[in-house]
Amino acid sequence: MSLLDVRDLIVRFRTADGTIHAVNGVSFELEAGETLGLVGESGCGKSVTNLALMRLLPKPAGRIEGGQVIFDGLDLLTLSEAEMRDLRGKEIAMIFQDPMTSLNPVLTIEEQLVETIRAHRRVSKADARRRAIALLEMVGIPTPEIRLRSFPHQFSGGMRQRVMIAMALALEPKLLVADEPTTALDVTIQAQVLDLLGRLTTEGGTALILITHDLGVVAGMTQRINVMYAGYIVETAPTPELFGHPSHPYTVGLLHSIPKVTQRDDEELIPIEGRPPDMRQAPVGCPFASRCTWRLEVCWTDNPSLRPVQAGARLVTTGPEATHQIACHNPPTAEEATAGRPVRPGFRPAPAPAGRMDELVLLAEGPA
Amino acid sequence: MSLETPGVTAVAAAPRRAEERVSRGLWSDAFSRLLRNRPALVGLICITAFIGVAILAPVIAPYGPYEQRTGGRLEAPSAAHLFGTDLLGRDMFSRVLYGAQISLQVGVIAVLMALVMGGLIGALAGGLGGWVDSVLMRVTDVLLAIPGILLAIGIIAWLDRGMLQLMLAIAVTYVPIFARLLRGSILALRESDYVIAAGAVGASRLRLLVRHMLPNALTPLIVQATLILATAIIDIAGLGFLGLGPPDPRTPEWGTMLVDARRFLQTAPHIVFFVGGAIVVSAIGFNLLGDGLRESLDPRLKR
Amino acid sequence: MLKYIVRRLLATIPVLLGLSIVLFAFVHLLPGDPCTAILGQRQTPAACARLRENLGLNDPLYVQYLDYIGGLLRGDFGASVINSKPFFDEFSVRFPGTVELTVAALIFAVGVGIPLGRLAARHAQGWIDGLVTAISLFGISIPVFVLGLVLVLIFGVTLGWLPTQGRIEARAGFEPTTNFLLLDTALAGRWDLFVDVLRHLILPAIALGSIPLAIIARITRASVIEVSNEDYVRTARAKGLTERRVDDRHIMRNAWLPVTTVVGLQVGGLLGGAVLTETVFGWNGVGRWVVDAIGNRDLTIVQSTILVFALIFLIVNLIVDVGYAFLNPRIRYS
Ligand SMILES: Nc1ncnc2c1ncn2[C@@H]1O[C@H](COP(=O)(O)OP(=O)(O)O)[C@@H](O)[C@H]1O
Ligand code: SF4
Ligand SMILES: [Mg+2]
Repeated sequence: MSLLDVRDLIVRFRTADGTIHAVNGVSFELEAGETLGLVGESGCGKSVTNLALMRLLPKPAGRIEGGQVIFDGLDLLTLSEAEMRDLRGKEIAMIFQDPMTSLNPVLTIEEQLVETIRAHRRVSKADARRRAIALLEMVGIPTPEIRLRSFPHQFSGGMRQRVMIAMALALEPKLLVADEPTTALDVTIQAQVLDLLGRLTTEGGTALILITHDLGVVAGMTQRINVMYAGYIVETAPTPELFGHPSHPYTVGLLHSIPKVTQRDDEELIPIEGRPPDMRQAPVGCPFASRCTWRLEVCWTDNPSLRPVQAGARLVTTGPEATHQIACHNPPTAEEATAGRPVRPGFRPAPAPAGRMDELVLLAEGPA
Repeated sequence: MSLETPGVTAVAAAPRRAEERVSRGLWSDAFSRLLRNRPALVGLICITAFIGVAILAPVIAPYGPYEQRTGGRLEAPSAAHLFGTDLLGRDMFSRVLYGAQISLQVGVIAVLMALVMGGLIGALAGGLGGWVDSVLMRVTDVLLAIPGILLAIGIIAWLDRGMLQLMLAIAVTYVPIFARLLRGSILALRESDYVIAAGAVGASRLRLLVRHMLPNALTPLIVQATLILATAIIDIAGLGFLGLGPPDPRTPEWGTMLVDARRFLQTAPHIVFFVGGAIVVSAIGFNLLGDGLRESLDPRLKR
Repeated sequence: MLKYIVRRLLATIPVLLGLSIVLFAFVHLLPGDPCTAILGQRQTPAACARLRENLGLNDPLYVQYLDYIGGLLRGDFGASVINSKPFFDEFSVRFPGTVELTVAALIFAVGVGIPLGRLAARHAQGWIDGLVTAISLFGISIPVFVLGLVLVLIFGVTLGWLPTQGRIEARAGFEPTTNFLLLDTALAGRWDLFVDVLRHLILPAIALGSIPLAIIARITRASVIEVSNEDYVRTARAKGLTERRVDDRHIMRNAWLPVTTVVGLQVGGLLGGAVLTETVFGWNGVGRWVVDAIGNRDLTIVQSTILVFALIFLIVNLIVDVGYAFLNPRIRYS
């Protein structure tokens, strides 16, 4: 049995401007100790997916409107608030993007660490403090006894994120969700923090969901990657497979829209044109259709579901099932994936059906 | 390897929408948003009633404000006298209507005076900076240190009573608020891109101030002025209640009318209710409208 | 921290200087003839000469100003131009009344306003929030004296539950010592009168406290809502803290900060509003004295009262700012 099993998760926000379809039926699994990357443009629903499984969606707008989250045999969405609270921080911990704002400015590091420990373990303050010192040491903060008494603003961004990691790992959780943990940090610090995160989760056997919009970050750290687009998982594959055989037009686009260190001359940079769809409407066809150069007629009307990729002998699997899946009617061939665009002779992306075009223009201009 | 290419992110899309909004006309857009804001609409109705009554008082009022009838003193409300009569047998309904006229006149003129004086101070302080700024800001600090009504009382004591003095006294208490507000927006706008751009193409400082900064600083000023009108109306009545209102004691000024009400609370409680009600309704009106304006002029500020 | 306090102290010096100049001009630079302005119909050549003598109006202006400042520094706040009684003689008798009133009003405003604001924030957008918003709108829209009169009418005249005039039952013939009547009655062991003083305080305190209450409720609501959306509150929840702990420790500790500043600023409004409240409730305080002084054109009394009130306002806000710095580690450790 897997550690985490998310099935058909649907999250919507009810706002004054209408309903926002943030997550539209997301399913994925995670084994104990496994490392999963969640990648996609900002706004595609990565954070919301994970806040939902922690049941920490902003109230009252954010609602889980469907699906199941099974963690360690427990159906999280049916637990009482008190039972859920026991899990948070203890079994599932989270690290957020901005270490500048994620720590409480008026409490000392000690107060924040100790309260985390004492929320879940019946230990004395002195014991909790000793544990806090050990944790700070573990994440590489020098003179932890002294630094404990500091306030967050007295730390640098990288140091604060280390404190966040220490806090998240304080109770040796089974699962750690790191939501863009290095996005707000200096490039030079990023690698150090990722390194630390990778090392500690491996050592502790902690499963990790690493959220990022940066494919480079997940490349070296994860065993598997989910690519999200507009609230859907559009491609999922073991990491080497995803980079070796990207099979969804969006993933292909992602890989071609950004310069690589190993950029070859014959590899063009092809930006993904257009913008993500307006999440205030559930898409009729494929959510990527308006930006896709592979699209067929059917793409405008039928939203494809995730299906195993037929990549023959090259398919890499880690489990009994085929684990490279995509949601696409017209997947790029290996050749096209390398080229970054369709190379079939005479192929043209299907034009938008009549009536749909006006809507798209309106969408592109933004709502009134 | 980053996916955050500009133009393809949802985040980048948001400001573009805001720009389009502005281009479609800040004011007409704000107005339509105002009409959809129910509390603001209530405010607008209160104020329309208040202003309408003030202007039309001579038409609506069944009696003149000074008209005395012997015998009918401190009468309770009746068909002939909707709001009853006062100590001198004057029709309270008519006096409350005329009172709206006085409050509106004094209030509007006082707030305009405060706006001009405060605006000038704020513009000079924010525009010139340096020691001018320091001196002017200390002046506003001094004014803010004196409790508002006491400042107004002091000014009237100094200048002696009179309509103009009354307006000036009210105005001075609000000068620091407008001064700081305008100074604040000028300082913020001075850093903003388009003012820097205008400066780069060689627009003079005064031109910059008048053409670019003032129109943009106008929004908070208008919002503040509306809210201050509510407090100004309350303050005018307060001064009247202390016997420092219009010099002619017969003037149908709401606060002045309440002096009698206090003495005859037991026999004629209706005076407090009608006069007090008039003050409260107009103050609520301006407060609601001010809050509504703030929300509809500033699209980011959603409740 | 020390640097911050020193800087804050130094910043008040120009304000004090400005205040002294304004108040000096208030008496010494009257528009028109000072004798007419101050004495009015009481004007006789002899009285006029005495007035000029007392105020030093025959000296050059800068000498007058230096005399004024010198007097203030020696604690000489001038004397009534009517009966020549020193300012503090009467002030010290009346001031305790105003202090009791404003402190009671402040306690009422803070004690009700903050819980109301928290309640509204917790149920943001719901009907409780709407109700609190309506209450605070009403609070800032109803003048102190109108509310006072209505309270007198309802609880005094109609229901007869509470006394509406004065600070203490006059027939009791109580002889105060400090004029802080709550203190005096308690020290004298007259608990019946202590309760009586409290009962006299209720209506005026509610009338005077209503505006600050509305403002404090609003700012508390806004502050709590803003803090609730901060990332660190989400962190606190993600750590598995109880909702109560998140509220008290993570939200309120931060939400307090802007609230303290606003509470400090209310003191000015309270002192001003006391003038009106004292008039409604026949309250023997400084406010009524000032109103009488204006009627008599006793300008030195008005001048010194304004000075004392402004000083109180400045000192309270100085304390609040230092308290703010102390509550806020970003300032405390910088
Ligand atoms: N509090 C909220 N209220 C309304 N919409 C929200 C809220 N939080 C997120 N959303 C919407 O949900 C979608 C997914 O957001 P999110 O998960 O934060 O994206 P990301 O992939 O960048 O983490 C976005 O379209 C966003 O606008
Ligand atoms: S080919 Fe069709 S289904 Fe596949 S991504 Fe493009 S539009 Fe969507
Ligand atoms: Mg995110």
